[in-house]
Amino acid sequence: MLLAKLALGFGGTLVLAGAYTFHEGVMRIDQDQVNGQHLHVWVPAAGVPLAMRAVPRRYLEHAAGQAAPWLPTVRAMTKELRKYPDAEFVEVDDAAQHVRIRTQGGKLLIDVDKTDEKVHVTCPLATLEDVASELERDAPGV
Amino acid sequence: MTHRALRFSGFALFVAVAAALLLTPFAGFAQNTPGPASGSSAPAAASKQDRWLHVRVDNPDSKEETVRVNVPLELAEKILPTINHSKLQSGRVKVDQFDCHGVDVRALLDAVRSSKDGEFVTVQSKDADVRVAKQGGYFLVHVVDKNRDKKGRVEVKIPIKVVDALFSGGKDELDLVAGLRALSAQGDTELVSVKDEENTVRVWLDSKNVAD
Repeated sequence: MLLAKLALGFGGTLVLAGAYTFHEGVMRIDQDQVNGQHLHVWVPAAGVPLAMRAVPRRYLEHAAGQAAPWLPTVRAMTKELRKYPDAEFVEVDDAAQHVRIRTQGGKLLIDVDKTDEKVHVTCPLATLEDVASELERDAPGV
Repeated sequence: MTHRALRFSGFALFVAVAAALLLTPFAGFAQNTPGPASGSSAPAAASKQDRWLHVRVDNPDSKEETVRVNVPLELAEKILPTINHSKLQSGRVKVDQFDCHGVDVRALLDAVRSSKDGEFVTVQSKDADVRVAKQGGYFLVHVVDKNRDKKGRVEVKIPIKVVDALFSGGKDELDLVAGLRALSAQGDTELVSVKDEENTVRVWLDSKNVAD
């Protein structure tokens, strides 16, 4: 009986932890190159701001310094985009590539299909806003 | 309620909450599944007050290149002031030589604004027909290029209120945010249309969040 209670408690904790970890969705990066190289990264979006707190401050400051001029723009854009329904903002289609930038279900989707490379990025807008805000805090002069 | 029933109810509630929380992200996954080619998914209706600026570039013949850009004007209004890069500062663009070879653009605009509707310039030659006019609160420029095998055609229709707003900033600068704000007050309208032997370019304003 005690073992069952322990298992239930452990299982319940795992379920709740999993639910919390994935409640903001997944940040996903897929890159497929014609030479056979593949990169597939799936990260729980809720974990990104937490992970940023674990990154050494000097690295964050460096990244924030580089991105500083555009951080207010990224933050404003992600904040505003969340107010709009799903939409396709940019689509470029030519002989060499097909590029799409759109929002869907609160996520920003960027798809680049070239003859030799395919890149698909999916990121929740809330996560982008959090990351931009977090970097802004570390950016000098923003 | 017995102690056993109470425990069972608590357990059932816990399982239900955990299942609901767990399934929430999978609903997100389902939404996130890449859809088929563009245009096939049903677009969500934009709210009525949203004004969208659309740009579309097509090659009707070769179909080699297509560009579609859809931007909500309010989004652009909010974002532009955050960009401070080169000549674009806080939603305003610095223009170095506003006098345009001795022509005072502001004085010219004042003259156009205060004048009645009519045609200001009409040129008809063997190379091109050009018409510049003011009509119903719009500044119109029509150019028909006769030089090529397939005629090129340019039509620009800019609300005068938008032009006023653009020039409402300081000297030697264009206030883009004011221009966008004035543009968002306009009804559905086609602003620019260019057709030549290779490309078709359209810039227009409406309340839809997708291009035609």
